Amino acid sequence: MSDNSLNNLPGGFKGMSHDMGSDQTAFKGVQWGKVMMWIFLLSDTFIFSCFLISYMKGRTSTVVDWPNTSEVFSLHVGEVPVPLLLIAIMTFVLITSSGTMALAVKYGYEKNRKMCGWLILATAIGGLTFVGMQIFEWSKLIHEGVRPWENPFGAKQFGSFFFMITGFHGTHVSIGVIFLFIYSRKVFRGDFDNGKRGFFTTMKSDYVAIEILGLYWHFVDLVWVFIFAFFYLW
Amino acid sequence: MSDEYNQKNAPLEAQSSDTISGTSGTPSKDIDYVRPAELPEQDLYHGHSFITKWIFCQDAKIIGVQYFLTAVFTGIVGLVLSWLMRLQLGYPDLVPFITAEHYYQFVTMHGMIMVVYFLTALFLGGFGNYLIPLMVGARDMVFPYVNMVSFWMFFIAVCVLMASFFVPGGPTGAGWTLYPPQAILPGTPGSNMGIILMLVSLSLFVIGFTMGGLNYIITILQARTRGMTLMRMPLTIWGIFTATALAMLAFPALLVSCIMMTLDKMLETSFFMPTIVQAGEVLDYGGGSPVLFQHLFWFFGHPEVYIVALPAFGIVSDLISVHARKNIFGYRMMVWAIVGIGGLSFFVWAHHMYVSGMNPWFGFFFATTTLIIAVPTALKVYNWIITLFRANIRMNTVMLFCLGFIVTFVNGGITGIFLGNVAVDIPLSDTYFVIAHFHMVMGIAPLMVIMGAVYHWFPLVTGRMLSEKLGKWHFWFTFLGAYSIYFPMHYLGFIGVPRRYFEMYDSPYVASATGLNEFITLAALIVGFSQLIFIYNIVSSLSIGKPAGKNPWKANSLEWLTPEVPPAHGNWGEKLPVIHRWPYDFNVPGAKEDYITQTTPPSEVISAEVEKT
Amino acid sequence: MHPGIIFLGVVVGSVLFHIYTPWWWTDIASNWGAMDDTINLTFWIGGGVFILVCLFMVYCVFKFSYKEGRKVEYKPEDHKLEKILTIATTVGVIALLAPGLIVYNNYINTPKNALQVEVNAWQWGWQYRLPGEDGILGTAHVAKISDNNPFGINLDDPNGKDDILIEDDVLHLKTNRPVKILLRSLDVLHNYYVPQFRAKMDAIPGIITYYWFEPNKIGEYEVLCAEYCGVGHYAMRAKVIVESEDNYKSWINEQETFSDLIAKQENNKLKKILIVKNND
Repeated sequence: MSDNSLNNLPGGFKGMSHDMGSDQTAFKGVQWGKVMMWIFLLSDTFIFSCFLISYMKGRTSTVVDWPNTSEVFSLHVGEVPVPLLLIAIMTFVLITSSGTMALAVKYGYEKNRKMCGWLILATAIGGLTFVGMQIFEWSKLIHEGVRPWENPFGAKQFGSFFFMITGFHGTHVSIGVIFLFIYSRKVFRGDFDNGKRGFFTTMKSDYVAIEILGLYWHFVDLVWVFIFAFFYLW
Repeated sequence: MSDEYNQKNAPLEAQSSDTISGTSGTPSKDIDYVRPAELPEQDLYHGHSFITKWIFCQDAKIIGVQYFLTAVFTGIVGLVLSWLMRLQLGYPDLVPFITAEHYYQFVTMHGMIMVVYFLTALFLGGFGNYLIPLMVGARDMVFPYVNMVSFWMFFIAVCVLMASFFVPGGPTGAGWTLYPPQAILPGTPGSNMGIILMLVSLSLFVIGFTMGGLNYIITILQARTRGMTLMRMPLTIWGIFTATALAMLAFPALLVSCIMMTLDKMLETSFFMPTIVQAGEVLDYGGGSPVLFQHLFWFFGHPEVYIVALPAFGIVSDLISVHARKNIFGYRMMVWAIVGIGGLSFFVWAHHMYVSGMNPWFGFFFATTTLIIAVPTALKVYNWIITLFRANIRMNTVMLFCLGFIVTFVNGGITGIFLGNVAVDIPLSDTYFVIAHFHMVMGIAPLMVIMGAVYHWFPLVTGRMLSEKLGKWHFWFTFLGAYSIYFPMHYLGFIGVPRRYFEMYDSPYVASATGLNEFITLAALIVGFSQLIFIYNIVSSLSIGKPAGKNPWKANSLEWLTPEVPPAHGNWGEKLPVIHRWPYDFNVPGAKEDYITQTTPPSEVISAEVEKT
Repeated sequence: MHPGIIFLGVVVGSVLFHIYTPWWWTDIASNWGAMDDTINLTFWIGGGVFILVCLFMVYCVFKFSYKEGRKVEYKPEDHKLEKILTIATTVGVIALLAPGLIVYNNYINTPKNALQVEVNAWQWGWQYRLPGEDGILGTAHVAKISDNNPFGINLDDPNGKDDILIEDDVLHLKTNRPVKILLRSLDVLHNYYVPQFRAKMDAIPGIITYYWFEPNKIGEYEVLCAEYCGVGHYAMRAKVIVESEDNYKSWINEQETFSDLIAKQENNKLKKILIVKNND
């Protein structure tokens, strides 16, 4: 088709709806896997929203006072309790890993196998550090007597919501880390360059997969920002 | 999205739907012009062994049949449970093993099985898998492997659910709404293993369904064939698509409430559990909110109603159109009504909770949104009956089921207006009126569609026709029987008989209804047994049915136009079909035959005055 | 036989069933006649639509049954008709909704002179608490419930001392006086429902819910639990007796207050001590 046909197409909102409604694909040039990840993340957003809304409802309606978060989550450096220190480091690590992930995607599309692989590995290690620090925090709280069913600092829902929501998020991070390790291996092995077929799905490997994994990773980061805000800053 | 990296699909063609038929200032004079393919051919995994071909199969059609059969199996279990319940209600103490505990377990399992494991799985897993790739012109679902895992996840969920019949304490008897605190406290049957297995099974179902749902959505959005614009899709696809989108957003709330309730049960957290005194002892719970569960549950539960109803709306529109030999009236209105109902369904959930003790001011908002939904729903009904007007109606079994659907759906829809309007709901809620309403509107009406759809698509799946004679008997037994179960049941609700009562004893004002209860029970038994006609019809037609040949109904839509019938793996043989029109070109003035298939190019029907779609 | 005849029979049968049905509302015994009116309004409008739609369908089935070569109308859309139908339906829906919302507004706004009655529900039974002469119920909490304090009344709250306790499932009400039912639950969800009063509301552990009505017909009524509450749900009945002012007064004077109960328990304790002493 000649270029001149492009000029006659409707623009703006109408153009968008025409594009979406046209034949074959609603999102032009977007791979199936990528659309899948976006829609899955939309669904996952609803899961986390339900968790966080339940948490807000639980927190505002309990009869016993909610514990003072800046004391509960503080870390002692020497003798001085520094509120939110650990969380600040965790958040920093996770957001940095998002940066390395974005770079990995860039090098992936540039077919820079080495850089891409190392950056994915760095992302995985960032995620692993995050999970490690989370385990540290859990064990600290458990040591202090916080349990899903009880809490020496105040409302028992504190423990239940904290362990459930950070646990659910931590599971997301852990799954992401596992996939990051698998993908870094695949990158180093060159699967994405020669289009090797997947073990289970028999689909051809493609560097798009790294971007899709990246979408997931950024989402997990974004969710963490909300959990951070609702649990630690409220 | 960072598409700048993506060089694979290099320069895209002009994308407007106007350019498909070459009308938007294109240089092409060819009236048959259709844009070239955007995507490379999908490469499919072809199974070789029996296991990869029939059991762990990646062909959406086989997966659809697997879903269908599993769902029907659970449906039969649900049907038998309903008989047992009705026996107790019609003839108390007739069957010695129906104690109150068992009765409540039957109620619960019947409800949960029918809503989730039967109807949802049947419409989306069964019809969705079979019809989506065929109707949009794809070779298969976009992720066949994930699709297969989805079915097996569902299968495991069903196994876990059925296992709960055999654990100590039996299945949960908490009512299908599983309201805490009662669901996990000892006063309810099956409050140990039963409820845990139920919650686990539901979580597995949600996970499995998410995998399937991603497939359905993306196949419809991204894998349509050339010329298949969104507004040329059959309404079946619109219904299934919208229902799946609802499911993707509604099931998270169910998953979250299942997780939280499992923790409440197993770790004694107090998400939904306030301070409770049971049998004189203060339990270890405290501070939770039971109403929160109801909000989460109904945020899932109400869209769930439309997850069942919308595919039924879509399928019945197609069946009516094909068998009335007339285009569906107001196609665009129908599409927008489906999408609008779907969108609105997220803002009406608390109409299930008018007397639940939530903030009473919510009542105004939710009554208003609920009645707004009545408008697009009513328009759909009008469009179905207007489609029949000045048509050429084949009075076959499929059409009978469609007519049965219209009657039951209008009846159930109107009783819905009673229950959606908050002041009217207060005296009627938690009575048999509610039971009658939702069985009519989301039990019988979708079942009519399912059965009609089976009669309609059986020739496609098996290559043989079902017996019309048996079909008609089956229809009249089912329709008249079911109508005489649920129509009088509304009047029990008017009297004020509360639901979920194992026995009414001698309450003064219900004594007059004993005869009615016996009648309903008999009707339920007859309807249930008449399904044997259906099963016999299916089984016998598999071998002795009349060979169907290609396109026996003279339909237009794509699923009938495969090179082989029944369609083979990959659906389309060498070349994907090319679409030139919507699927409703029946009896177009000037055309030679009374139907023009979707693949017929304009140059072949040059004199027909078709609408531009 | 033409299938249309049977469909017609279904419509006619439904109408006849409605005309001759012996099953209809119980006689109303409260002020919520307006609820019955909204139901009747919905019933007639809805029933009319049902009959019209079904009759039109039956007409089409008769008139347009399959005939080879019948001329079929080809009209995919008719904007004017669609618009008319949309507007007509919207008007109908508003006509149903508006009265409903007005009634609901009355339902959630309790009149000031309403008599408070606290209903305590548990698996599976009922008991009641009425405010004493001060007209205020004392605060209470389920965790405080014990054999000596069956309602869990807060002992420090002076308002609770004169509360009238009815450890029985029969509630007496006086006619023509609005009642505000305050619902508390000890364990799971329940619902205090008398069909003749039309009104109902769930009792939820942890919070207090309410609704109101004005009984206006002397008589005895059966109370049913209308929210599934476990295996004894169906047996969770009670009784309300609506009676004249005089009868009500004599009934309420016989009931014991919380301070009576405490005094009695003290007495019993003393008696026990005495008995023990005497035995020595």
